[in-house]
Amino acid sequence: MRASDLIGADVLDRDGRRLGVVTDLRCVQDGPLRGAMATPRVAALLVSRRHTGSLLGYDRRDQQGPWLIRRIVRRLHRHLLEIPWTAVASYDGQITLTASAADLTGH
Amino acid sequence: MKRLLAVALGVLTAIGGFVDIGDLVTNALVGSRYGLSLAWATLIGLVGICVFAEMSGRVAAVTGRATFDLVRERLGPRAGLANLVASFLVTGLTFVAEIGGVALSLELVTSVYYLLWVPLVALAVWLVIWRVRFSVLENVFGLLGLALIVFGVALWQLHPSWTGLLHQVAVPHKPDGEGTPTYLYYAIALFGAAMTPYEVFFFSSGGVEERWTRKDIITSRINVFIGFPLGAALSLAIAAVSALVLLPVGVNVDTLGQVGLPVAVAAGKIALAVAILGFVAATFGAALETGLSAGYTVAQYFGWQWGKYVRPREAARYHAVVLLSVLAAVAVLLTTVDPVKVTEYSVVFSAVALPLTYFPILVVANDPDYMGDSANGRVTNALATGMLVVIVVASVAAIPLMIATKAGQ
Amino acid sequence: MADGRQLDLQLQLLDRQVVDAGGRLVCKVDDLELTATDDGRLLVTAILIGPRALGPRIGGRLGRWMAGIAQRLSTPDRQLPPRIDFGQVTDIGTAIAIARRRSEVDVAPLDDWVDEHLIGRIPGAGHAS
Repeated sequence: MRASDLIGADVLDRDGRRLGVVTDLRCVQDGPLRGAMATPRVAALLVSRRHTGSLLGYDRRDQQGPWLIRRIVRRLHRHLLEIPWTAVASYDGQITLTASAADLTGH
Repeated sequence: MKRLLAVALGVLTAIGGFVDIGDLVTNALVGSRYGLSLAWATLIGLVGICVFAEMSGRVAAVTGRATFDLVRERLGPRAGLANLVASFLVTGLTFVAEIGGVALSLELVTSVYYLLWVPLVALAVWLVIWRVRFSVLENVFGLLGLALIVFGVALWQLHPSWTGLLHQVAVPHKPDGEGTPTYLYYAIALFGAAMTPYEVFFFSSGGVEERWTRKDIITSRINVFIGFPLGAALSLAIAAVSALVLLPVGVNVDTLGQVGLPVAVAAGKIALAVAILGFVAATFGAALETGLSAGYTVAQYFGWQWGKYVRPREAARYHAVVLLSVLAAVAVLLTTVDPVKVTEYSVVFSAVALPLTYFPILVVANDPDYMGDSANGRVTNALATGMLVVIVVASVAAIPLMIATKAGQ
Repeated sequence: MADGRQLDLQLQLLDRQVVDAGGRLVCKVDDLELTATDDGRLLVTAILIGPRALGPRIGGRLGRWMAGIAQRLSTPDRQLPPRIDFGQVTDIGTAIAIARRRSEVDVAPLDDWVDEHLIGRIPGAGHAS
């Protein structure tokens, strides 16, 4: 499968409630060594309510400027969730989780 | 000493290369109608292009990545593609205007109908792009473009009231009898003429072509902060002579000949000849830049090898795009569309397309993973964000104003 | 090398320029191939290139048209989009560096075609200037 099959896909919790769309796949390079690097493994989904595209990196670094853009991007994606891959029950067109929204977001 | 010469060359090239057909026509037109009361728009455009080019140049020097490469990277393939289409069309429109501008200038010299010049000019443009070395291409036409300094000479010869001119610039006053929407429309046109996207594509891609590294950031900054303002001064001189000679008699500029007329009136026939030499050099140089940029945008979106720094066979798709663009531009001009009118539209559409390319560069210039210590400082960011707001306002207002004023009637 | 390093695919890999061992520009990361292992892990195994990889990401009719044309133009032995195995990647930075040279990685059939039939035929195509 392809990364584009997951990025942009709807994410539903165990009860069928829509949590948002996948905006990015957070990987860790701890897979088997291939060539010069360890293979990246999908570790988590970054899920946002809105489909307004990339976070442009503003979620990762606190102080990245310019101020105005950081504020706008943070506000658009203020309900960003990082959901571990282990919480994914199935991924076929849309992604269904093993947990409910309450477990994941805390409310 | 050698370094100093190289820097001086860069600055002179930046001055001579600043003015293209868009600046020539728009400044003369606005001067003949509004005097210097819209000079503020050119000055804001100057600040904008300085900020934009400095960031792009710095990004190219530190990362080796050119502007459009980063547009797709930051905006994603969909928004990046929309951006590509818009930028390519605007650059293409400007390309048509520049080739038309060279042909019109040659018509002024030879009285041979401009359409007969168009295919020859296009062939010459393509041949130079194909075979002439990048640095030679950039420097020769930049230096020859300095002939436009004759506009400054003409201004001097007219013995204007300098305080009067300064007053017009500092205290903008929309002339009575002119509507505000039209006034603002021309402000956007001047802004777009100063801040054409292709300049940034060319500047940053040129930096990669010339293998800039961190050490070249200083040179890039000198070119931008000394060269561009002097180039803008030339633009203002063009507006000023037009204002002094044509405004009092109510002649509105709509041909290239009328752009040069005030120089002939103020300083004689030889000065006019120098001015026309300047027209040819500036528009031909700009035609080279826009032609190359048409290729840069497409190739950098798709990730193809581009540029003159490799053998053409290694960048086949890039050269094919440039060749096809030249042919398309000729085809458009052969429909007898007026190049001056095309120019007037191209500067406004430049203003519309600006935010699309400015925004990704602003984000990248701030990215510490990319830029390390060379990321934007607070002051740069304040200025750059301010410009972003201006750019967005101009972009959004341009089309409605164009429709409302019937393109500046 | 870089073990345990965090990588966000959209932010750091997708749509980035791929550069070969000699510094030449190869392509963009148009999409990434993900492979599921038996123990439920999902690994990034290759870079996917070209209209068949990019088309679905552009989406809509235009994307489908892009992918469709490329599919029709491809030979039977090249049905899937061209791929560069992730093991070829040597660096992930402002560009993605791969170990081989562009000519060894058969990823740009269009470029070769244009070169052969158009650009390569024009005098002077063999020298940079």
